[in-house]
Amino acid sequence: MPLLPRNWPLWLVVLFLITLPIGAGILWLVLTALYNQVHGLVPMGKLAPQNWRFLFEGSVGGRPSIWVALKNSAVFAAAVATLEVLIASMAAYAISRMKFPLRTPYLGMILTLHAFPAVSLLIAIYYILRLLGLFDTLIGVILVKASLDLPLGIWLMKGFFDQLSWDMEMAALVDGASRWTVFWRVALPLVRPGILALGTFALLSAWGEFILPFTFIVSAKSWTLALYMQSFMKEAFVDYGLMAAVGLFYALPVFLLFLFGQRYLLNIYSGGVKG
Amino acid sequence: MSRGTSVRLQNLTKRFGRVVAVRDLDLEVNPGELVAFLGPSGCGKTTTLLMIAGIYRPTAGHVYFGDRRVDPLHPRDRDVGMVFQSYALYPHLTLFENIAFPLRLKRVPGEEVKRRVKATAELLGIGGILERRPAQVSGGQQQRAALARALVKEPQVLLLDEPLSNLDAQIRLSARAEIRRLQRELGVTAILVTHDQAEALAMADRVAVFSMGELQQYATPEELYHRPKNTFVAGFVGSPPMNLIEGEFTGDGFRSGELRLPLRQAPLGRGWLGVRPEHLRIAGEGHPARVLVVEPLGREAIVIVELFGHRLQILVAEGEKPAPDAEVRVAFPARALHYFDANGRRIGPE
Amino acid sequence: MRRYLTPFLFLGPASLLILLFFFTPVVATLLLSFTDLATTTFRHPSWVGLANYRDLFADPFLKKILANTARYVGLTLAFNVGMGLLLALVTSLVPENWGDPFRALWLLPRILPPVVYVFIWQGMLAEAPMGLVSDLLGVSKNWLVETPWVAVILANGFVGASFGMLIFTSAIRAIPRELFYAAAVDGATTLQTIRRVVIPMLAWPILFVTAYQTLSLLTSFEYILLLTDGGPGFYGTEVWSLHAYHLALSNYFGNVEFGLGAAMAAVLVVIGVVVSLFYLKIFNFRALVTEPKIEV
Ligand SMILES: Nc1ncnc2c1ncn2[C@@H]1O[C@H](COP(=O)(O)OP(=O)(O)OP(=O)(O)O)[C@@H](O)[C@H]1O
Ligand SMILES: [Mg+2]
Repeated sequence: MPLLPRNWPLWLVVLFLITLPIGAGILWLVLTALYNQVHGLVPMGKLAPQNWRFLFEGSVGGRPSIWVALKNSAVFAAAVATLEVLIASMAAYAISRMKFPLRTPYLGMILTLHAFPAVSLLIAIYYILRLLGLFDTLIGVILVKASLDLPLGIWLMKGFFDQLSWDMEMAALVDGASRWTVFWRVALPLVRPGILALGTFALLSAWGEFILPFTFIVSAKSWTLALYMQSFMKEAFVDYGLMAAVGLFYALPVFLLFLFGQRYLLNIYSGGVKG
Repeated sequence: MSRGTSVRLQNLTKRFGRVVAVRDLDLEVNPGELVAFLGPSGCGKTTTLLMIAGIYRPTAGHVYFGDRRVDPLHPRDRDVGMVFQSYALYPHLTLFENIAFPLRLKRVPGEEVKRRVKATAELLGIGGILERRPAQVSGGQQQRAALARALVKEPQVLLLDEPLSNLDAQIRLSARAEIRRLQRELGVTAILVTHDQAEALAMADRVAVFSMGELQQYATPEELYHRPKNTFVAGFVGSPPMNLIEGEFTGDGFRSGELRLPLRQAPLGRGWLGVRPEHLRIAGEGHPARVLVVEPLGREAIVIVELFGHRLQILVAEGEKPAPDAEVRVAFPARALHYFDANGRRIGPE
Repeated sequence: MRRYLTPFLFLGPASLLILLFFFTPVVATLLLSFTDLATTTFRHPSWVGLANYRDLFADPFLKKILANTARYVGLTLAFNVGMGLLLALVTSLVPENWGDPFRALWLLPRILPPVVYVFIWQGMLAEAPMGLVSDLLGVSKNWLVETPWVAVILANGFVGASFGMLIFTSAIRAIPRELFYAAAVDGATTLQTIRRVVIPMLAWPILFVTAYQTLSLLTSFEYILLLTDGGPGFYGTEVWSLHAYHLALSNYFGNVEFGLGAAMAAVLVVIGVVVSLFYLKIFNFRALVTEPKIEV
């Protein structure tokens, strides 16, 4: 607020207190992953390298190797982000910058889909994937994930394309470019902040995605890290140390991004990305 | 060495929804000629230019380059170069890559690109700053880079949309001369959009004056000055603008209130009498008037007087300017008068 | 038509995916809800008309599920909006270089992989010695089983609060400074300023966040699925969307009742379509459309 109250340190204490559970949760995860035993966030006993055995043993309890899951997750996240950025940018460019019949209704449809809760379609999508022969394939889940986030991406990118100068685009056409060339060589480089924002968002969202692979993937060889980790949750005896280590390993990219790109993250999520 | 082509606009019309931006425009530009489109803001100059470039599709009418009808063609197939008011340089590319852009799109070999970009940049005096980005150079340099980008592909037609309006007054004068020199040297057909009448008169071979989407007059600067076709042109061309007095022509004179002027070969009926400020004189004899305002311009001064209820502007030499509130006499010239009918159309003298 | 070839090429991939994974599923959900598709009839389902809907309303557990849904949506919503508001206000009352890191910290629940996030909750609520809550309370119990609703609402609430927080924060930043100066000149205390200046300006954002999150809470079940899977016991925390999912896609009870699940989902789909069309209207979306300036 423009006027800082004189008693702001008091408010800082309030803020600290309500945020405590988040800090405690993270700390709990880290300590549980590193130590044999933890009591009320105080580590007891020795460091516990055995919590990390999943990194070295080929398989824990008959599961596929974590490296397979890691590879699947990386492929999944990268493919989803690439597809989403590319396809959303193309569509957003057309909507923002080109004349075509039904342009306004198309934009209205995108906006409606943006608010529409896509999870309610899961049951039908299951059926469609089976019909297409894409059930239980990574490609199928990639397509579904990229599609469901597409309205958001188009909406976000349209906002960025709207800012571009018309003169510049006209100049490029007079210089001899086609719309396709303008898109690749002039427009896309100039909406880099948008691409980065959407890309980061898509990467994070796909990296964490659980429901879609859980529903549409059966074979262990296509497991992502989310499925790998979830498979431990169903066990009768829960090995918290091991799971915390797996969780920490899985969430590491997110923590790194959080540590080094806080301001950037805030900007992206404040920029109207869906909650 | 004229490599320009003629440009012919035929019945060109452009509507945006209900707004008619350009109406039924007929106009021809000769090869190698520099023509200025002159008119107030919103009169359709840019729209016309963009139809010539191929960015806008005409609602009706055609555009010809020489004998070739180009209005169905994509801009890249028209061989035009264009400079925008905002310069529209690509902010993510260096000046070199900006200028090279049209050549790269034509897949000109790298060595040749380098040679031609260098040559064009030298011609415009920006050879030394080609590695910078647009944001790192001055407005004048950006304008030159934009011009270089338009010229580097050696177009047949060069379109300039208010290329000088973002420059400060000093550079603007030198840039005028430079653009004119380059255009002559290269022999390219050029169309310059401007709302500055001095710029149009100084640079152009011919000037097309627009108002509200319609062509008012298309003529040489001299003709525009000496024989404006209607009151709009008369009022728009020349600075300060022509004085226009509403009244009645009587065959042998002009009458407006108490003002009476004997004229030879005057027409009959209501209309407007036009006289330029530089042709009125403050003299020992003539019509009595009172000085309202004196605006010194340096070597000259504009004197605004009230004469039988009419306000007239008079341009006088600095040394001859009267004091404010002085009673003076104003002499009308015998020639250099302009007659317009009640609708504003020129009716004389021949 | 040729002149529209380029825009259609640009729109092609997006349109195809939207057709395949939005439009077809909406129609398919409705169609499937009129069939008896199930594990046993997967190859040759037949039309049953409204039978699924009849079964749905005849279900003796429907009441419980509706009550669960209302509880989940209502309480989580209250937490989300209230906490979002509190966070936006409090982070605005401290210097920016304190406020921003805290805001970022509140993003963490949202960007952490849900599996990891839920695991942390499960661990903290577990029996001693692992469970932090048991440790602190000195009573070793599995609090997830003891107080499942608290867990479900808090876990969802900590994820959802950041949405309101960010929207309210930008709304607060958009309030003209003069209003604050005027309030200060009038001698208003901080709390008075908040009540008289800030909250009135947040009316619209609060409405927006409430409307938006109602719809997404109504249909989302990811965190409940992971946390309690509808338990403990029989339908302890089973909500509408999760029940639809269970019926259609999880082999929990042996035979998968695809048609019945689709009928439940269809109810959500219809609500979703209606509500999002309604948003479109209040968004005043025509104002967002401007005409392109290039006609080639
Ligand atoms: N893309 C467009 N959509 C709708 N109306 C337009 C468009 N471009 C121009 N117009 C309208 O057409 C008329 C002519 O505009 P134009 O830009 O050609 O004027 P101009 O003579 O170049 O003016 P200026 O000196 O201000 O640049 C104006 O009334 C303008 O509002
Ligand atoms: Mg213009």
